[in-house]
Amino acid sequence: MSTPILEGRKLTKTYGGVLALYRVNLSLYAGEILGLIGPNGSGKTTLFNALSRVVPVDEGHIFFRGQDVTDMRPYQIARMGLARTFQVIRVYRKMTVLENMLISRPWRDVRPWDLLKPSRHDIHRRAWELLEFFQIAHLAHMPAGALSGGQRRLLELAMASMPDPDVFLLDEAMSGINPTLVEQIKERIMEMREQHGKTFLLVEHNIQFIADLCDRVVVLHQGQVLAEGTPAEIMDNDDVIEAYLGV
Amino acid sequence: MSRFTPPSASENPVRRYDIWLWVILVLLAALYPFTQPTTARLLIAIQMFMLITLASNWNLIGGMTGYVDFGHLTFFGIGAYTVGILMTRSGEVIFAPQLSFWQAWPFSGLTAMLFALTLGAATLRLKGPYFSIAMLATLLAMREIVRLFTPLTGGGGGLDLPPELNRIQEYYIALGLMALSVGLMWWIRNSEFGLSLLAIREDEIGAEMRGINTTLHKTTAFALSAFLTGLVGGFWAWQNTYIDPDVVFFEPRNLEMIMAAVLGGLGTVWGPPLGAAVLYWLREFFWNRFLFAHLLGLGLMLIFVVLFLPGGLVGLLQKGRVTSVLDLWRLQPAHEEET
Amino acid sequence: MSFLQALLNGILVGGFYGFMILGFSIIWGVMGIINLAHGEYVMMGAYFAWAMFRQFGIDPLISAVLVFPVMFVVGYVLQWLVINRVVERPHLISLLLSFGISISIANIYKLIYTADYRSVTVSYAGSFQLAGLTFPTVKTIIFFAGLLLMAALHLFLQRTRLGKSIRAAAQNKEAAKIVGIDINRVYAITAGICVGLTAMAGAMIAPIQPIFPFMGPLFTVRAFAITALGGLGRIPGALLGGLLLGIVETLLTIYVPGTGAKVGTAVSFLILVLVLVTRPQGLLKGLRPVEEGA
Repeated sequence: MSTPILEGRKLTKTYGGVLALYRVNLSLYAGEILGLIGPNGSGKTTLFNALSRVVPVDEGHIFFRGQDVTDMRPYQIARMGLARTFQVIRVYRKMTVLENMLISRPWRDVRPWDLLKPSRHDIHRRAWELLEFFQIAHLAHMPAGALSGGQRRLLELAMASMPDPDVFLLDEAMSGINPTLVEQIKERIMEMREQHGKTFLLVEHNIQFIADLCDRVVVLHQGQVLAEGTPAEIMDNDDVIEAYLGV
Repeated sequence: MSRFTPPSASENPVRRYDIWLWVILVLLAALYPFTQPTTARLLIAIQMFMLITLASNWNLIGGMTGYVDFGHLTFFGIGAYTVGILMTRSGEVIFAPQLSFWQAWPFSGLTAMLFALTLGAATLRLKGPYFSIAMLATLLAMREIVRLFTPLTGGGGGLDLPPELNRIQEYYIALGLMALSVGLMWWIRNSEFGLSLLAIREDEIGAEMRGINTTLHKTTAFALSAFLTGLVGGFWAWQNTYIDPDVVFFEPRNLEMIMAAVLGGLGTVWGPPLGAAVLYWLREFFWNRFLFAHLLGLGLMLIFVVLFLPGGLVGLLQKGRVTSVLDLWRLQPAHEEET
Repeated sequence: MSFLQALLNGILVGGFYGFMILGFSIIWGVMGIINLAHGEYVMMGAYFAWAMFRQFGIDPLISAVLVFPVMFVVGYVLQWLVINRVVERPHLISLLLSFGISISIANIYKLIYTADYRSVTVSYAGSFQLAGLTFPTVKTIIFFAGLLLMAALHLFLQRTRLGKSIRAAAQNKEAAKIVGIDINRVYAITAGICVGLTAMAGAMIAPIQPIFPFMGPLFTVRAFAITALGGLGRIPGALLGGLLLGIVETLLTIYVPGTGAKVGTAVSFLILVLVLVTRPQGLLKGLRPVEEGA
């Protein structure tokens, strides 16, 4: 098997004596859609935060494109082509939707002098295209704080897509979005994977969504990997049913 | 693609052309000395221009980036003492040729900026309130340090600068500095750099996750703000012809700089000039009769503005919602009004 | 001065610091308000003790008891009328607001009492010998009074119904509201208690500290440093942080020549920056990360 594009090795993280992650190994291969499920408090968001370097891990290493990024700053990883959304939505509430999009531009190849100019036309164009796709273009000049929860989720998805990253980490990105749009986003994810080889790591509580979309599923339980396999295998796994579905 | 709006239409037209209003105002102000004003009036104008410049510079780090700097006067002081020392102390303490004001002045900005870079490396890593208190402590410490290094700074006795009084010339320098500072703020606000600063203010982790090198951006803003503040300090020392720790690190000046930005509207381009002008007017025509309570007045005003005018005067003008004093009370719970 | 003696002095001062900053720490922990006017409450307490001593010859330790109800009301009213309006708003706002409050209070006191330095000289100002060490009487009394009050506050927070609502409000505001806690009232009471305790601390140090209207920031900066060392809203943490700062301050004053009484602010500042730059969570990981912008 080829080397993973994003890999966590033996990640351990404690919060004030509580073990949030214990020696978790996770490999994400290019072009794959991986689902991450587990009961509340099983460490899914912590794992996300660790992989995107929002919180430092106590032990373990993170590799992105074969490079050890354990000690890198979040913006460096973002510039290497990793984008994420947050479970608690992080949009800039006091700025307009469009400004939110402009801020999420790819910062990788910005020369210092360009920073002193307004956003370029192609950035504007891309922002509008994405707003169109996520059906929030009509809100472009509203402050993001005035949007509904679902609209903010869409905005966050659109923002994550702005820099055209190769790897998306989506933390419960589908909650609060209407089913029709969820179907469309699902199609879009498939399309991005098929045509552009994008990679996705999804945290979802919507099992159907995971089952439809994912190639592989990893189950976290009490900070450890409980099971790993295809959606079908996971659904049949007795441990998973016991831990997760609470039967 | 049916609803695709071309970029030009997506910009707020007011925001694009408001700079011309500023240019016209500055040009009009440039004509003022031709009306043969009295020296006292010129001095009032110079002081007001300096307050506007200071408020605008403070706004860059305190308002736009959201790092509330309670000790920004430190950079003013460094600028003032740089000019003072370079103009009077050469040969005695520092081995450099005696400099004229024009030769010494650029160094006031540069030393302030260097100090900001050094200090910022530590303090800008502190979040929110810790940064604020660290800067306040820096200001308190700086005043004592200046007092202690008597050979260099003249200690409590201060330094006398060679007087070179030409109020008209000073007027144009002050006007130029102000035009530059406010113009720069406008430019930054409309640039991607400005957007990134606003993003840092609202959600620094989010900005970082979206690929912005937050450390670089906020340090740049801090250093730029310090540079301009240092220039004002250097100019102030020269036109005042005398500096000592008490007149340079004058507490009301520190507070007025912050107050003007808050009153006008944090993070807005036109707030600090507006706020500073209003504040200066208040001081000249009202508070001067109650000088003993000047700081108290500023303190109470800060409380009032924070409680009832969170968007500042600019926010008020934009909303156009206040028709009576009673409305002020009702404005308070509207959280989205905050800048 | 022997090392042990220096250490003792540091511990005595530090115990007091631990008590002095409790109000600051609890207000931050419970409401997320950074109270820059903290030092001003110390100042108000000190002036109260000075005025009582001058007018009626009342001992500062008795004044410390008397000042609590007075300042409780001040804290309660200020919280109820002013600060409760900004609890939900970004840190930036509460910072600016409390900065305004701090400046207003200091300048009101300047108008009333002028900027002159005042002092209170009590009859028991000397010191006594014990086990070969010199105990300054006032500092020793303050130290034990501080410990006692800390214990009392701990019991209050752990055992009483009111104390439990305060802790509930600190941990989860929404949940506290749901179970029927009137959050604004709890905040006002918390602020009353904190301001009262802070003023008590101010009254207690009146005999050993020059009193002037602008003494506040010295204590506010210390409060920040101790919070960075010991964590937020935790009484043992406050004590530990206070002891650490007190010992470092005293040792530096004694062993580094040229540092005078002004060393306090500088040391606090250095500790604050060093601790937070190297350990953003605080020395004991007790710092709640300051949410950006909100």
